[in-house]
Amino acid sequence: MSECQHQWEMTNIQFGFVVFEKCFHCNGLRTYFSVEDTPILGDKYREGDCFWSRVENAQSFRFNLQCTKCNHLEKLDDLMGLLHCTGCLPDCEVEILRKKYEAERTWILVAFGFLPQAKTRPIPAYKLDILTDYFNQRRDASRSRIKIVPFNLIEDLSLCRGDFIHDVGMLSLEPPKGRKPLF
Amino acid sequence: MTTQDLIEKIGLKPLSKFEHRKVNGVFVSDMLSDVMASAKSGNLWLTVQTHKSIVPAANLVDVSAILITGGKEVPQETVDLASKYSIAILSTELPTFELVGKLYGLGLGSK
Repeated sequence: MSECQHQWEMTNIQFGFVVFEKCFHCNGLRTYFSVEDTPILGDKYREGDCFWSRVENAQSFRFNLQCTKCNHLEKLDDLMGLLHCTGCLPDCEVEILRKKYEAERTWILVAFGFLPQAKTRPIPAYKLDILTDYFNQRRDASRSRIKIVPFNLIEDLSLCRGDFIHDVGMLSLEPPKGRKPLF
Repeated sequence: MTTQDLIEKIGLKPLSKFEHRKVNGVFVSDMLSDVMASAKSGNLWLTVQTHKSIVPAANLVDVSAILITGGKEVPQETVDLASKYSIAILSTELPTFELVGKLYGLGLGSK
């Protein structure tokens, strides 16, 4: 085990798009990162029994974290994005945690992996700890702190109305007034 | 230079409830991903984005304040969320270019 007290910085930053696609046959949702703003396969296409339709194309970025002291590199290409809990479900574990940590001026964000594979292969807990450490090293942690939690705390994604911290509607002349639910 | 100083010197309008703090440089961007990647703790973030997602983005990177330029109207839910997190949302009628000039004149650069 490393003795280094890692000091993290973002590296290999790549801007692109997180694409959300839905199958209107099985109601499946899948997401992936793309550097292309125009989907190669088009907005709608068939794949086996699934009929995929693009529901959102959010501008985002991906990155790795590297320790400035020991050069250890932690890849985060399984991180789809961070979601801000809007408190839509009072008995959701994320909302319960949010209220608990709020008293300590610690703000909760939910880390999502790419769907559907992240449901069975979630982002490892140690990576979420590293991500938490990174954002706390980047701020005045005496004022407030960040805590990153896994998305599998959300029991039913279809009911979640949290907001991803990414950009939508950036090609519109008018800023988007609201966001459509993605799940 | 603090958020209080900037409000007085430039005539900014505070919209949310917050604690004043030291401003450490300026960051100009309308993309949340850009802010998350590059803004620094204490930066004054200039943007025309007003969706409530600017609040968790600002919180994540610990900016000193979000300054909405060009007189853009900020929805009440954005203001309420910012007040809840004690994040300053300030407003100005000035366009971004002119405001940056004033901030630069006050000695604030990108840090």
